[in-house]
Amino acid sequence: MTFAIDFLQVLILVGTAPLLRGLVGRIKARIQNRRGASVWRPYADLRKLFSKEDLISATASPLFRLSPMILFAATVAAAAFVPTLHGFALLGTAGDFIVLVYLLALARFFLILGAMDGGSSFGGMGASREALVSTLAEAPLLLALVAVSIVAHSTSVAGIVRWSSGQPFFHLSPVHALAFVAFTLVAIAETGRVPIDNPTTHLELTMIHEAMVLEYSGPSLALIEWANAIKLNLMLSLLVAVFMPWGIAPATSLHGLAIALAAYALKMVLLAVLLAVLESSVAKLRMYLVPDFLGVACALSILAVVFTALKR
Amino acid sequence: MTLWLPLLLPLFGALVMLAFKNPRTAVRVALGIGVTEAALLGNCVVKLRAAGVLQEGRYLRGDGLTSFFLINLTLVFALVLAYSVGYLRHVPKGRFSSPRWFYALVFLFLFTMLAVYLSANLGMMWIAIEATTLASALLVGFYNTQGAVEAGWKYLIVCTVGIAFALFGTIALYLAAVRGGVPAEMALDWAVLMDAAPQMSAARELLKLAFVFVAVGYGTKIGFVPMHSWLPDAHAEAPSPISALLSAALLNCALYALLRVEAITSRAIGHGFSHTLLLAFGGLSVLTAAFLMIVQRDLKRLLAYSSIEHMGIVALGVGLGGTLGLYGALLHAFNHSLAKTLLFFTTGNIREAFGTLRMDRIRGMTRALPCTSAVLVAGGLAVAGMPPFGLFVSEFIILTSAFTQARYLVATLILAAISIAFGALLYHCQRMLSGEAKQLSARPKAPISEIAAMCVCGACLLVLGLCIPAAFTAVLRNAMAVLQ
Amino acid sequence: MGLVEFAAAKTLASSAVFLFITVLLMAAAKRTSTCIMLFGVQCAVITAQILAAAFVYHSREAYVVAAMVFVVKVLAIPYALLGIRKRLNVPGGVSASTTPAQSVYIAAGLILLAFLVVQPYVRALALDGEMLAAATAVLLTGAFLMVSRKKALMQVIGLLVLENGIFLAALTTTFGMPLVIEMGIFFDLLICVLLLGVFVFRIRDTFEHVDVSKLRRLRG
Repeated sequence: MTFAIDFLQVLILVGTAPLLRGLVGRIKARIQNRRGASVWRPYADLRKLFSKEDLISATASPLFRLSPMILFAATVAAAAFVPTLHGFALLGTAGDFIVLVYLLALARFFLILGAMDGGSSFGGMGASREALVSTLAEAPLLLALVAVSIVAHSTSVAGIVRWSSGQPFFHLSPVHALAFVAFTLVAIAETGRVPIDNPTTHLELTMIHEAMVLEYSGPSLALIEWANAIKLNLMLSLLVAVFMPWGIAPATSLHGLAIALAAYALKMVLLAVLLAVLESSVAKLRMYLVPDFLGVACALSILAVVFTALKR
Repeated sequence: MTLWLPLLLPLFGALVMLAFKNPRTAVRVALGIGVTEAALLGNCVVKLRAAGVLQEGRYLRGDGLTSFFLINLTLVFALVLAYSVGYLRHVPKGRFSSPRWFYALVFLFLFTMLAVYLSANLGMMWIAIEATTLASALLVGFYNTQGAVEAGWKYLIVCTVGIAFALFGTIALYLAAVRGGVPAEMALDWAVLMDAAPQMSAARELLKLAFVFVAVGYGTKIGFVPMHSWLPDAHAEAPSPISALLSAALLNCALYALLRVEAITSRAIGHGFSHTLLLAFGGLSVLTAAFLMIVQRDLKRLLAYSSIEHMGIVALGVGLGGTLGLYGALLHAFNHSLAKTLLFFTTGNIREAFGTLRMDRIRGMTRALPCTSAVLVAGGLAVAGMPPFGLFVSEFIILTSAFTQARYLVATLILAAISIAFGALLYHCQRMLSGEAKQLSARPKAPISEIAAMCVCGACLLVLGLCIPAAFTAVLRNAMAVLQ
Repeated sequence: MGLVEFAAAKTLASSAVFLFITVLLMAAAKRTSTCIMLFGVQCAVITAQILAAAFVYHSREAYVVAAMVFVVKVLAIPYALLGIRKRLNVPGGVSASTTPAQSVYIAAGLILLAFLVVQPYVRALALDGEMLAAATAVLLTGAFLMVSRKKALMQVIGLLVLENGIFLAALTTTFGMPLVIEMGIFFDLLICVLLLGVFVFRIRDTFEHVDVSKLRRLRG
């Protein structure tokens, strides 16, 4: 029974990822006073891309073909670590949050390799920028999760979520507050949203993620786009599960799960709205200011870790 | 009513002043209000002398210490008012530089200083001291030149930060009192705290913390090094009568506040800590100021550093303690205010004649301005601590106190600083007085009010140096009794 | 437990956290208006805390103090500062001498220093250590803002944050001073801000800039 629910969690994460993307895009369009594309548009895009053929450059190696598959696999595997409905995940006992972070890093690594393999200069540029951002974002991400795990006395994400959902309602500790802010900043950087990277830009010199996938087409591109959407969904779900776990079913009952599903949906919609508002109100940072942005996240996460020792 | 009237009259006067646009009427009204105020303050002092302690309502109180400082304030204020009548002819006309604004701000400033002296409550005293900063900031920036604006800004920022620290110290003192069993509504009342001080002796660390913060806070306003950075700028860029008021009246005001708090902490935990801290600040101030006086280029900045030095000597006097030390310190504060007033009056004349106060551009003063030079020499000798002027007596008393307590280091410090300051003053004055006078703009003779003010000042200094009147000694003794 | 009691208890327990967050965000802010609004938020947190304390300890004076803090520090002063900033119309953000990341590191260091410094007093006086540390952290951050920001208006904001820290320390240790004194302090603060505003305009008019690091004519 638990296995079925865990599998359902992964399906939800993977399946509703394009919907989340579409929702964010639609709200942004509304803020900009346009009607915007339908929220189901990304699904249509994926179907279109899957039905087309892959065009591969003559100078590309087999890595170019493999990268999207490894990227997708790693991202789905990472999604299997995150509990959304109840305090257990499919791969919850198979590893801890460090494995989660490194699965995401593995995905990114292969994306960078694939981008450089394509041979276009924009690919190389996007790859180097992505490498910079990810190097700087890794420390705050790990430290924020370390801080939370010290307080929860558990290193597995599922264990942290179980501890969080057991805390009294609205309990605010400095560790969690600081880790929350740091994690939000890192999530913005990891998923490539404004102010780090504009996902809807068409100017190549301002691209980070888009520049890396310029050479891809067909099913490979579909896998990459889907993986990107899953990553956004994953980061937001992780944020929700660790820092705002209200509604997560304590016991495996149908009633509890229904409430958990409704709560999860509500929280994700709320985060989508907030993300859209944030993207519409701040300008994208220039590249040399990005290390500063991530430096702030790093300082906050270090402070969060130090606070775990202070809050005796 | 004895305490309320002199307190409220300047406030009322400030508002009234704004109605008189004609400069001459404004000056006359200001003089009228000033004379009335002086009379009321005189009455206040006499009544205090007779009654010992006067308390009106919960927030106004006067005792021996108050009357001593009130005499000081009245004298300085009267002299400044007399001098300013003539001085204001030369203030450039601007939207906010007319006599009515000048006098309105001066009366507001007087009101805040009186509020400090007459407050019974440490919290009110804090509010009043912060108010003195605010009231005098616009006076410092009165000329609206680059230097004046910078000086006013620095003054506001540094003093507000300092006084915020003093607030922290006051709060710590309040906390110690409440924990010592004093009821909360009365735990900021000075008389109540003095009575309850032995109860507070258990909170040693807290009282020490409180005193440190209060010393740093009010010390900023007194001009102790290293919190003195605002003082030379503010005193140099303000108009001369305002510089006199700042140097002579405001520094004493802050000193009064510090003395009140020190009395409480001494009674609670003994003299040791507070006196050591005051000696440290005093020693640092005298040395730094004395050395910096040598390299000054502007006359008013030189006088400002001299103020810092003398306030350091006062701090050393208080820090030495005992009857002699405290007596010398209070007398020195009084004498210094008179001497500084005299010197700042001369700077007004010098600036008028030479157009600048840069000492390297002033030459041949003896030929150009004989009377002013004489007064400058007299004031310079007075401030350097020479007999027959009053500062000699007070410095001598403080030195005696140092020697009787076998504190030879402190005595050496004072002597060294006085000597260096004397050397610096001599050097600068000699350069200004001798030499060939450059071509001067034809100027009318100084108005009788300025000359009268300077003469009265000098006479007081001489009197205090030669033979202190018995009545004054009695007032001084009363003041000391309050603090011990 | 009634909802109001619950809310009051939660507010008292978590206001220190919010103060730390405002301290860190203020250090990282790049625009003056952001700083002013964060100051307003900080004062709102303090108001909430006073209200919660007033409710829990049944003190009528505290309600008046909370109202004063709200009117003066959350509404009046930020409104005045934003108006001054708009009229000054000086470009260039906050003119910090440290990057936002460095400032946040320094602010984090100051928070840890604050915890260290209040330890002996917390033990001796049996107080709430976190709140007192938050007050000291706010004080130190105010001082840091005054020292590291070159715009004149930012020095004013740093001064206000410093006074906030002192006021907060007073609140934590003594539950406030007599009401008349508190009113006098607020009045003083208001006049101080107005005067500082006047002076900022005078600096702009006489110097053609508002960079206080260039106000170095008077030295020595």
